Amino acid sequence: MSETASAPAAMETPAAASAPRGLFSWIATVDHKRIGILYLLTTLVFFVIGGVEALLIRIQLARPNNTFLSPDAFDQIFTMHGTTMIFLVVMPTLIGLANYLVPLMIGARDMAFPRLNALSFWLLPCGGLLLHFSLLAGGAPAVGWFSYAPLSETPYATTSGVDYWTLSLLILGVGSVAASINLIATILTQRAPGLTIRRLPLFVWMVFINSFLVILALPALNAAIVMLFIDRHLSTHFFAPAHGGSAVLWQHFFWAFGHPEVYIMALPAFGIISEVVPVFARRPIFGYEFVAASTVAIALLSFGVWAHHMFAVGLGHPMDLFFAATSMMIAVPTGIKVFAWSATMWGGAIRLTTSMLFAVAFLIQFTIGGLSGITFAVVPIDWQVTGTYYLVAHFHYVLFGGTFFAVFAGLYYWFPKITGRRLSERLGQLNFWMAVIGFNTAFFVQHFLGLMGMARRIYTYPDLPGWGLLNMISTLGAFLLGASVLVLLWNIFVSLRHGKPAGDNPWQAWTLEWATTSPPPAHNFDRVPPIRSRRPLWDLAHPENPDPIVGGAAAQDGFILEKNRAGIVSFLITESVFFLMLILAYLYYNSHAMNGPTPTSMLNPQRTGIYTLCLLASSLTIWLAGKKLEAKKHSAFRWLLTLTILLGTVFIIGQGREYLRIFHEGVMVNSNLFATTFFTLTGFHGLHVCVGVIALLILMALAFAGDFKQGRIEAVKSIGLYWHFVDAVWLVVFSVIYLRLLL
Amino acid sequence: MTTGQFFISAWNWNPWVITICGATILIYGARNHFRFGQKSGWLLAGIIIFFITLASPIDTLADGYLFSAHMLQHLLLLLIVPPLILLSRPSAPFPDGFQNGRWKWLNWMLRHPLVNWFLGVGGMWLWHAPMLCNAAVTNPWIHRLQYVSLLLMGFAFWWPIIGPWSRQRLSLLAGIIYLFSACVGCTVLGIIITFSPVEVCSIYLHPVDRLGILPLIQNQWGLTPAKDQQLGGLLMWVPACLIYFCGIFGLFARWHGETGNEISVSKSSTPFTEKSHGH
Repeated sequence: MSETASAPAAMETPAAASAPRGLFSWIATVDHKRIGILYLLTTLVFFVIGGVEALLIRIQLARPNNTFLSPDAFDQIFTMHGTTMIFLVVMPTLIGLANYLVPLMIGARDMAFPRLNALSFWLLPCGGLLLHFSLLAGGAPAVGWFSYAPLSETPYATTSGVDYWTLSLLILGVGSVAASINLIATILTQRAPGLTIRRLPLFVWMVFINSFLVILALPALNAAIVMLFIDRHLSTHFFAPAHGGSAVLWQHFFWAFGHPEVYIMALPAFGIISEVVPVFARRPIFGYEFVAASTVAIALLSFGVWAHHMFAVGLGHPMDLFFAATSMMIAVPTGIKVFAWSATMWGGAIRLTTSMLFAVAFLIQFTIGGLSGITFAVVPIDWQVTGTYYLVAHFHYVLFGGTFFAVFAGLYYWFPKITGRRLSERLGQLNFWMAVIGFNTAFFVQHFLGLMGMARRIYTYPDLPGWGLLNMISTLGAFLLGASVLVLLWNIFVSLRHGKPAGDNPWQAWTLEWATTSPPPAHNFDRVPPIRSRRPLWDLAHPENPDPIVGGAAAQDGFILEKNRAGIVSFLITESVFFLMLILAYLYYNSHAMNGPTPTSMLNPQRTGIYTLCLLASSLTIWLAGKKLEAKKHSAFRWLLTLTILLGTVFIIGQGREYLRIFHEGVMVNSNLFATTFFTLTGFHGLHVCVGVIALLILMALAFAGDFKQGRIEAVKSIGLYWHFVDAVWLVVFSVIYLRLLL
Repeated sequence: MTTGQFFISAWNWNPWVITICGATILIYGARNHFRFGQKSGWLLAGIIIFFITLASPIDTLADGYLFSAHMLQHLLLLLIVPPLILLSRPSAPFPDGFQNGRWKWLNWMLRHPLVNWFLGVGGMWLWHAPMLCNAAVTNPWIHRLQYVSLLLMGFAFWWPIIGPWSRQRLSLLAGIIYLFSACVGCTVLGIIITFSPVEVCSIYLHPVDRLGILPLIQNQWGLTPAKDQQLGGLLMWVPACLIYFCGIFGLFARWHGETGNEISVSKSSTPFTEKSHGH
């Protein structure tokens, strides 16, 4: 834990303060503010696309037995609507906001890894275009955003839509994980002096916790998607029950990601509300510690509730019982937050700006969505309504009435900082009232439709009493909501040119981003104000009545890491989850007897054991290499590095020979589920060893070129850590696959 | 036999258990000059749960009838009793002998969190290897060894979180990683047990009905061997993690309650009862 890495560059005034201009400067930018704006603009485009898709769905459903869309077109559009809104709108919008705001709010010059940041952004349009390219390549995916197997398997999803879906989600997933690793490293290593973790603005705190959710949850989806892709392209049967696979396993993997995902889409929104509400209520947040700790509680519990998406699968009473209990439990920390926001407003001098209006509407609508959510924890109710529009109403109250309203609140709040001009309040009020009336009209009636039994995911419905009317009301509401978005777009367009100049701090807010100019200069801050509490700008403006000092006078706490270390550790955490999924799949499919090749007939634990020893020895040599480098014994370092590479190569050759032997017996990846899971697991591990060897080769080239003589030990340490990780994973894989045979 | 009759009659007044409970209270009392304060509550809770674990019908059920009852015992001994006892200890200054003296090796053992982590999580995995799991049910001495080792491993696991010497406790971030990864460890085991088509402890598959309660369990309670194993796996998976999460919240409460510099020791001695204060 070095203190040196924490010295922010923010205090220096760079020589070239003027920002580069032109389109290319935007493409080539590594400035977190520009990348944040690019994120927001891209998501705005996808938001409009996803919105149009929603309106098409609503037109089709406006009347019973409507023929506006064919069943297949409906399936494609509702799949694209869900996928677009979740992966191309909500997640990247929140990441984009965090990208723009987190470095400003912690008084930093930029993100910890600016180039990685640019990569995470460019993966977004890449993934988005790939997904939409499916429209030109035979049809969009039509299996829902959840891609339930076996519907998503080759025999049932015959177009290449699902293939584009898997590839695009994989790319988007990598982008989100990279962005989250970057955010974790930024918050852990780039904070201005005085900004201890306990003084973090709540938005930053929630982005921080949320980033952990992303790096822990996304790999579960990535692993599942990889398996689906292998199923579709190598004719294997991970999720095809006809050949021994398990469709339920897809659901487990998907929802093990999918439920944390719900909170991934909610936590940063909670963060926005926790900034907006106190500023416009003119009171500090009520119960900061409780809001902060309840975020952690939500994050932890979110991993233990996924099976409530699967009550209707028939998991058995014991499963239902436990997951009903945890699902109810997660309402408690969420309730604590709602309580804290309400208590902050209570007795405050509230200014009902558009931003605050959206925040208040968020509070009410999110509570409605939360309450209907709790009803799903009651298993019999879930069985009754899980396949109906009641559920559609529920999650739109959480995601649109909740998250989107929070994003709008944040947009009206931070737009002046981003552009230097305020959004028009007059248009803003219009925007708000149209949105709130449109949204509630569109979705509140869906509760009733669901309770009356209207099935979701189906392109039309019979002409039963009341259904047509309620659906028509819902459609009209959706169009009003759509119109409100047009008002917002018009407001942005007009205000960019003619908006009221904002000044540095138009709302008299208290967090660091308001201490610099609007828009901030490329280097963010000329000078970061002293930070002793959670509201540094309040202290600055009211020296006679400052906030109590939080957490003693210490300018730094124990939460300062070296940034490469923070980055690589987060990366390894996300990798371990990926491997965990593959290992669980192996165990699951190999726990009972099956036809065809078996581990006992195919594998030789003793021979592989020798190669395993080589790999383990390489962990020792790289550790020694690091020690030698620290002791400045450069030639010993170089030779130990070379030895590590040799040992790693021996291991890969050993594994290659094992593969060849198995191939000679006529066994291929699609022979049976043992072969499938074996090749998937060891193949991905082998790939990681290869990547590690390449990284070591680069290190070796640098070392022989005379690098590392002036330090830069961290690069070696990071690669070393990765190498240890690859070895540790093999130890587990070896025990699971080979050692089991000796028992 | 009805459920009520069973729960009244199936207590097992094991002299060993009673002796241990009494002795612990006596020793604790003697060391505190028989002045019982707030912290004694933790001890009392720990002792009561220890007693219930080993003397109540849970023990009877765990003895060859129900895998889930065995799992409940396992969790209570590993994750509930040790932290309660540790919480009842007054926070003490770091003893000198452990720093340099002859207890140095023990100090290294106790303060290296990786060792403690593997003891705590490994304990869970080890005793669920089918061979050991069956042996513990059939052989009374292995059975006792299992109880003792679970308790000891539980103490080792919780030591870096709520051990009496605050200097040895893990920092917030490390503590969260420590507890969260332990949760992942037992979640994986729980998931494997829950979904495994193979009996983890085959002895529970065909219980020897010594007491004539098998019809009660299987027909009235509806606990077939398959459901029983699922329940056991779920116990390991869900509540065990919730206990670790409680530890994490305790760490947060302690951290928010700390006022001075990060290094200085909090003045209150019970970390878990400290209140965090809002505005």
